[in-house]
Amino acid sequence: MTTKSWHLNRRDLLQGGGLGLALPLLNGMCHAERAVGAELPKRLFVSYFAYGAYMPGGKTGVPGGNQPHHDWSWWPCNEPGPLSFNQSAAPFEPLVESVSYLRGLDHKGGWKMGGHSSGDVFATGADMTEHEKTNNISIDQVAANRHGHQTRYPSLVLGTEGGTGSYGSSKTLSHRGPGRAIPSLHKPQEIFNRLFKPYAGKGVQQVRAGLKREASILDLMLDSSRSFQRQLGRGDQVKVSEYLESIRELEKRVERTSQWTHAQLPDIDTKGLNIEVSHKEPQEYIRCMYDLIYLAFQTDSTRYATLMLESEQSQGSELWNYATYVLGYKGATHDIAHKRPEDYSGKWDRWRAEQHAYFLKRLHETPEGDGNLLDRTLVLWGSAHPHASHSTKNYPLQLAGGNRLGFRHGQLHAFEGDKKVPLANLFVSMLNAIDVPVERFADSTGNLNQLMG
Amino acid sequence: MRQQTSLLSICVLLVGAVAGAQTHAEDSSASRSLASQSKVWPFLQSLCVDCHGDDASKGELSLPGLGDLSRGGDVQQWSLILDKLQSGEMPPEDESQPSEKHRNEAIDWIESQLRIQVGRDAEHARPITARRLTNVEYQNTMRDLLGIDLKLTEKLPNDPVKPYQFNNTAELMRLGPEQINRYLECARSAMASAIVDPQRPEVYKTRREWQPYGREKQLGLDEIGVWGNRRHSPAWGMGLKGFPKTGEFRIRVQASAIFPPGVDELPLRLIMGYGINVNSATQRVQPVGTVRLRNSPDNPRVIEFRGRIENFPPQPGRIKNGERGPDSMTITPQNLYDDGTLNDGRRDLAMPRAVINWMEFEAPVTEKWPPLHHTQILFDSSLRDEDPAEYVRQVIERFVSRAFRRPATPEEVARFVQIYELVLPELGSLEAAMRETLSFSLVSPQFLYHTDAAPAVALSRSDENTGKNGYELASKLSYFLWASMPDQQLMDLAAQGTLHDPSVIEQQVRRLLADPRSHDFVENFTTQWLSLNKQKTVPINSELFPRFLYYVSAGERRGTEVPYRPTIRDYMHDETVGFVAELIRRNASVLNLVDSDFVFVNQPLAVHYGIAGIQGDQLRPVPVQASDQLGGLLTHGSILIGNGTGSAPHPIYRAVWLREAILGDEVAPPPADVPALSDSAGESAESALTIGDLLRQHRQKESCNDCHAQLDPWGLPFEQYNAIGQYQPLVPQEGVRVSGFQKDTHRDLAGYQDYLRSISTVEVVARARLPHGPEVDGIRQLKNYLLEHRKQDIAENLIRRLLSYAIGRELSWRDRFAVEALVTHSNKHGNKLQDMIVLICQSETFRGSKD
Repeated sequence: MTTKSWHLNRRDLLQGGGLGLALPLLNGMCHAERAVGAELPKRLFVSYFAYGAYMPGGKTGVPGGNQPHHDWSWWPCNEPGPLSFNQSAAPFEPLVESVSYLRGLDHKGGWKMGGHSSGDVFATGADMTEHEKTNNISIDQVAANRHGHQTRYPSLVLGTEGGTGSYGSSKTLSHRGPGRAIPSLHKPQEIFNRLFKPYAGKGVQQVRAGLKREASILDLMLDSSRSFQRQLGRGDQVKVSEYLESIRELEKRVERTSQWTHAQLPDIDTKGLNIEVSHKEPQEYIRCMYDLIYLAFQTDSTRYATLMLESEQSQGSELWNYATYVLGYKGATHDIAHKRPEDYSGKWDRWRAEQHAYFLKRLHETPEGDGNLLDRTLVLWGSAHPHASHSTKNYPLQLAGGNRLGFRHGQLHAFEGDKKVPLANLFVSMLNAIDVPVERFADSTGNLNQLMG
Repeated sequence: MRQQTSLLSICVLLVGAVAGAQTHAEDSSASRSLASQSKVWPFLQSLCVDCHGDDASKGELSLPGLGDLSRGGDVQQWSLILDKLQSGEMPPEDESQPSEKHRNEAIDWIESQLRIQVGRDAEHARPITARRLTNVEYQNTMRDLLGIDLKLTEKLPNDPVKPYQFNNTAELMRLGPEQINRYLECARSAMASAIVDPQRPEVYKTRREWQPYGREKQLGLDEIGVWGNRRHSPAWGMGLKGFPKTGEFRIRVQASAIFPPGVDELPLRLIMGYGINVNSATQRVQPVGTVRLRNSPDNPRVIEFRGRIENFPPQPGRIKNGERGPDSMTITPQNLYDDGTLNDGRRDLAMPRAVINWMEFEAPVTEKWPPLHHTQILFDSSLRDEDPAEYVRQVIERFVSRAFRRPATPEEVARFVQIYELVLPELGSLEAAMRETLSFSLVSPQFLYHTDAAPAVALSRSDENTGKNGYELASKLSYFLWASMPDQQLMDLAAQGTLHDPSVIEQQVRRLLADPRSHDFVENFTTQWLSLNKQKTVPINSELFPRFLYYVSAGERRGTEVPYRPTIRDYMHDETVGFVAELIRRNASVLNLVDSDFVFVNQPLAVHYGIAGIQGDQLRPVPVQASDQLGGLLTHGSILIGNGTGSAPHPIYRAVWLREAILGDEVAPPPADVPALSDSAGESAESALTIGDLLRQHRQKESCNDCHAQLDPWGLPFEQYNAIGQYQPLVPQEGVRVSGFQKDTHRDLAGYQDYLRSISTVEVVARARLPHGPEVDGIRQLKNYLLEHRKQDIAENLIRRLLSYAIGRELSWRDRFAVEALVTHSNKHGNKLQDMIVLICQSETFRGSKD
């Protein structure tokens, strides 16, 4: 791994010396709005890696008999209970008080989707093959629908490949509702601009006037679209209603954006952040994406985010070659999942763990209230396959953060055999912990409040 | 005026309400009674219930629980049962069979009952037809509407893809706010190009010359070899800086070629965007165009290319002292000659070379100012000064009527005039306000959606009498056969009300198919129908097939595929699409899909398949003999590679492809949690069992056997075609595939073939007994069987696919008899492809109205 000079600069700036950048931020406004005694934000983040993880002991990574736990298994240890960390999971060791591993959970809706498709429903739990023909609303959007208005952006949807992808090869984790994937953003520059420079250099007055104009136009559009809709047959009317909903949603957004023009934009110094990083520099690129989410959380620009670190069909992108760039592995990243070469599989998982741990550490090191950012951020990290990439059960899953939201960490939990419950139960608990009072999510049968203290 | 229109809309509203009040027959309570009460129950009970009963319900079909067909219960399932009985697929061969008489009685009863249900249902159910434009349709519509070809879809989310299904269906084509936002961004950037500001812009010009003296690796400094050339040669291209951001450009090049004996053509391509000669493969470029050079340097030729600057990716300027420098672009000419020996090492002088004397770039082209695409919207008229309000109204009416593919209603026009008035004060000029106003017409549902909405004003006089909407049909035809909006001729016919006449439809269909725009239809249709895109991402094992792709031979990227050139896989894609287009052009029989006396290839493909004497990169029909082991779709590289592992053929993938794409069966996907065959067969050539062995093991599990007994035999006859789509009846013994290859002696084509001959000693087994059919050995016998016994299925499958693509929805049991009628009619007339398309366009199902 080559280290370039700006690389150090950026790290320094973001972590220490650059705290000036850590902003008088939007805080000016947040504080004002939160007033005295108001609660600190509660955040949620879902991050996905593709092609499963190395579990040499078998499908769940549990070795048979009296064998010791494999040093390079994705799972940090074998026995449920207090965590100990093997080679693959070592980057999380300093965060032991903030992470849990969950074994045996999955979405039933993904069982029949096949190895290269079940990633579609990781954050949704939708039953795409049976009753629902399309994907359905994702956990971050459930939260955003409820509380999204409290921040400048209801949610942040990122991926490394961008767009929505297709059925069975999604390139986003987030879905608004049936069949409506939210395209993920993947260009750091674009993400940065949308987050922190939304007015594209225009003055606030000008932006407000433009928004006002746009709102009036959308109103006219909505009106004429309604009369158009009435000319259609019933089935088509239903179909076109998704258009009307979209326009209404845009209207709302224009209004929100307009309101937010009264709040000051966070002032972020771009010097430390290499937002022009190329896809060909894996570590820099992935960390840049994590940095952007970190900044969005830290400035309270949004509270809900998803990041598809790799899609399950990344042939078309540089991600396909990441194992080659990082480890010198001779073959596509995806081949590691199929061939499971002993010397590369663990190292590849370890590399991914390092990136994720980097993000968790940044949250952990940033104070907020009487704790830190991670304490009020629930971070779910995992994949929709265990060992063999064609299996769609028993996901590798790590839950981090949220200590101040009631979660207790430092354990490996096993939900196997008669303890098996849907992964959606965890989603219910996660949503409840961030003040989204749902009783059900997808195929949930209850909650997983046993993870809470 | 105002009153009239509101009355009209009330009428429309009422009609809508009445139609909406009716319900589907399926929902009625009558369907609750069970199949066991129906007339065919004894037949089903004696023959089927053992496997499809309450306890065992194979294929997820449980007959006792099925609704009674005569009361409209579970019609879709009954339709499937009828298919299985008619085709003889059920009961399975090894189970007891009904007498011919009993089978026919059962078939007759189900069929007649289905017919009653279809008739009953047609009165109520109106299929959903509203769907948004696909990205390709969007792109093409913008091109034809604005008169400039802008690449816009890069900003839109990709359309969803489902294997063997078309993505233009209502179910898949959905919308969300982000998408509308992107549409608005696209529309604004398109309108920024379409409407120009009044003053003639400054023209940016640059020119570069190359001199013949000086040599670099034997090549003159004005030459481009097949392997490129060094700095200072034209292969490094011409840089642009400070060019305008929008507008049409013109590139002029003076070029010629130096040919070795026996070669007389050189494809010269220009690409523009980032410079590509840095050691990296992430630069972004777009092709400008390709010409074929046949002239020598004594006789240089000046060639002109044109395009839109917006479509080419500028390379962002470097940041210096905190300031970003200007964007740049590079125009790079490429020598695309390829005779299949490019991996054999540099032999520059033995290969044709392009000579470039000079190159000029100029933008924007302002021969006529404002340009045509501008005056097409803001037309020249004294009205503009005399009655600005009326001028604005007319501009909007003209544009919106074209954008909506039918005359705009006065209400619609009034609405956009309102928008115009709203934005004018702030935006200042007519041009700016009109850009914004018209952008919003391009995010209207009337623009973004296909619907059968028929505002009264959109019906011509004769339409009003018949209730048939000519404009709707015009759009259906053009989106089917061009993936774009109707042209003037179609619109005129719609206005005259004559478009629904079958002879007019026939004449129009043949006209549309003869137009180059029909390429997008064939491309889209074929790619999705045959699931062609798979082949592009199959990782080819370069140790087994060191000559298949064109590899970088030195440097950091050594051993990776040479970027920024059309690859043999691109040609294979074009081969398949071109082949289907050629069949349509010739109005050839559908059976050519299985076997044909010609293939559609260029030189690189011909070399790959072992056909001698083909030159040049342009694909064309070439006659073949049976001994070539080619013909039809089954042996196309695109199909064989896409349904292989990159190392080995894959009989299951190929069987699924044959059954889905050619025979029209729906093959259930494998259950999750089964080990993938490719893992054991494809990953490691050294340790692989044979695929035949694997399948035998697999079939021993009964749960696997049910599906695989129906599947494997269709894939095994393909085994003589290897993972890169070549006929290879002899293969190496397992375990010795990659050994013994000597780079030095086996590097060139002849040496490589010697090597292959020396190791390939084992005959491939390609024998299988087809379900309900004979034993076949190899592809020839499989084809013969298909041609003799499965003609009907092949024709029906294509008709179903074409119809489904044409109407933008999946077919259901309701379409059963309509399809049957088409199949019968087509069969009588020789199942010719172009005639099939005509027939489909004349059908009620396509037109959406009865005669």
